[in-house]
Amino acid sequence: MSRREGSLEDPQADSSISPLPHLEAKIRQTHSLARLLTKYAEQLLQEYVQHQGDPFGLPGFSPPRLPVAGLSAPAPGHAGLPAPERLRLDAAALSALQPLLDVVRRHQAELNPRAPRLLRRLEDAARQARALGAAVEAVLAALGAETRGPPAEPAAAAAAAAVAAATAATDAGVFPAKVLGLRVCGLYREWVSRTEGDLGQLVPGGPA
Amino acid sequence: MPAGRPGPAAQSARRPPPLLPLLLLCVLGAPRAGSGAHTAVISPQDPTLLIGSSLQATCSVHGDPPGATAEGLYWTLNGRRLAPELSRVLNASTLALALANLNGSRQQSGDNLVCHARDGSILAGSCLYVGLPPEKPFNISCWSKNMKDLTCRWTPGAHGETFLHTNYSLKYKLRWYGQDNTCEEYHTVGPHSCHIPKDLALFTPYEIWVEATNRLGSARSDVLTLDILDVVTTDPPPDVHVSRVGGLEDQLSVRWVSPPALKDFLFQAKYQIRYRVEDSVDWKVVDDVSNQTSCRLAGLKPGTVYFVQVRCNPFGIYGSKKAGIWSEWSHPTAASTPRSERPGPGGGACEPRGGEPSSGPVRRELKQFLGWLKKHAYCSNLSFRLYDQWRAWMQKTHKTRNQDEGILPSGRRGTTRGPAR
Repeated sequence: MSRREGSLEDPQADSSISPLPHLEAKIRQTHSLARLLTKYAEQLLQEYVQHQGDPFGLPGFSPPRLPVAGLSAPAPGHAGLPAPERLRLDAAALSALQPLLDVVRRHQAELNPRAPRLLRRLEDAARQARALGAAVEAVLAALGAETRGPPAEPAAAAAAAAVAAATAATDAGVFPAKVLGLRVCGLYREWVSRTEGDLGQLVPGGPA
Repeated sequence: MPAGRPGPAAQSARRPPPLLPLLLLCVLGAPRAGSGAHTAVISPQDPTLLIGSSLQATCSVHGDPPGATAEGLYWTLNGRRLAPELSRVLNASTLALALANLNGSRQQSGDNLVCHARDGSILAGSCLYVGLPPEKPFNISCWSKNMKDLTCRWTPGAHGETFLHTNYSLKYKLRWYGQDNTCEEYHTVGPHSCHIPKDLALFTPYEIWVEATNRLGSARSDVLTLDILDVVTTDPPPDVHVSRVGGLEDQLSVRWVSPPALKDFLFQAKYQIRYRVEDSVDWKVVDDVSNQTSCRLAGLKPGTVYFVQVRCNPFGIYGSKKAGIWSEWSHPTAASTPRSERPGPGGGACEPRGGEPSSGPVRRELKQFLGWLKKHAYCSNLSFRLYDQWRAWMQKTHKTRNQDEGILPSGRRGTTRGPAR
């Protein structure tokens, strides 16, 4: 197997007991999950804009893409990073998304209490973000790469700060809260899609 | 929203905007990276208004460089640009808006009023809540399934259209003591319903009412007072069987079991039967099938498939004087009447099985005659069963005679026998 970035070659593996089939299966499985969640994330975004009212659903609607505390969109140079680094960023983003999606769901429960499907999708998205993040970390571990996340306490503190920031933002008014929710749903879609792409490059037979 | 608790608009209206640390960049009005652009604040923020009222709003621009101008700013409402004549420049940095005769909000999350810069970028937004206060809910009706729970339904006042999210809360308490309780399981049998699953007292009246609340106010229904035992319903009768009555081509026998949940209490249960021809939508209803678990349908069409259903009214539970509430109909059960060469009659009422009071005039008179015969003619073997056997025998005899005379195609002939003794 040629050494190309993102390949599964493990030179230290004992050839008689190759872990590759299991690793390949894990990658395929996680890639399938990411592909499914990308579709769900798109549906969530559509459902979300419907319930906020125009101009949220109109083409060309472009509120300021302000960064959300603790999370930003995939950087332009993301695709050029080594595979383990990309997956680490994917996992970290998915982990950060879960509490933010919770905040959005709580606010939408007040704004749109009679939108059970939207609320359910937001609840599912928070859970699925966590699940996909954990699956990506498992792939990283199987690849022998360190997940190199922040230690547990600082990570928890960062999550709490992000939630506090988002909650405070919603306290500043309903329109900013709607925009924040749109941003979070958009980030969720971007990161899930990015994760699908990054894993796709690791799937044997996938694009280089 | 629980009653009495203000929504997010009211909360933000009361609380001054918080000072956001630099980390909190997600509030509109923070400068966009690299733009050197302006921020703005709309006032009022998230107001609540009555339909038909007016709104005066301002968009005040701050920014870098200072002295940002209000020239070129414009407003949109739910994505539609508002006419320029509705706006005016108040001062160098403030654009005002005057809207009159507001319509009800287009969505419950609020109408989006947005202040735009000349290039169309969004500077600030505010959500308008335009609607009506709730009207008094009415027409509360409740029922208890097997005395175990209570489900209530109501009609929202003004057909529910307030254009604002309106929260309905069903409250209940024991009439002479106890605290107010709030129902928690909503929308169980429609959008305006609630289910109380347990911990209900019998033999003592409850007071029940509905409170409606939205951003513009609240309203309370009249109080309904009821005893659980007066509003009992039950499950449909199980095990409904429909079968032929020998060879009688115009009759079917219907049997069922009393609903098991109340079987120890149904001393005075009423039942109703309904039936229809297979390809018809018109049901015929048989009333007054009192406290019995079988019935015979008579006057039916021969050679016809019938669908039959039964339901139960458990009135009189524990001595209740009220009417009780009919259960749902049982699942349809089908059976067919035997074929006949003669056209049969169109349909009729439920007839009793042997020994039970008749509902048809002919059979009633026949019963009286048989009773007289038994008494005066010492015919102790006489009974309705004997009569029905005679009828079946008569029909067989009629068929056989027609075949012998060449009226019917030849077929198997059975031995003609008289009625059993």
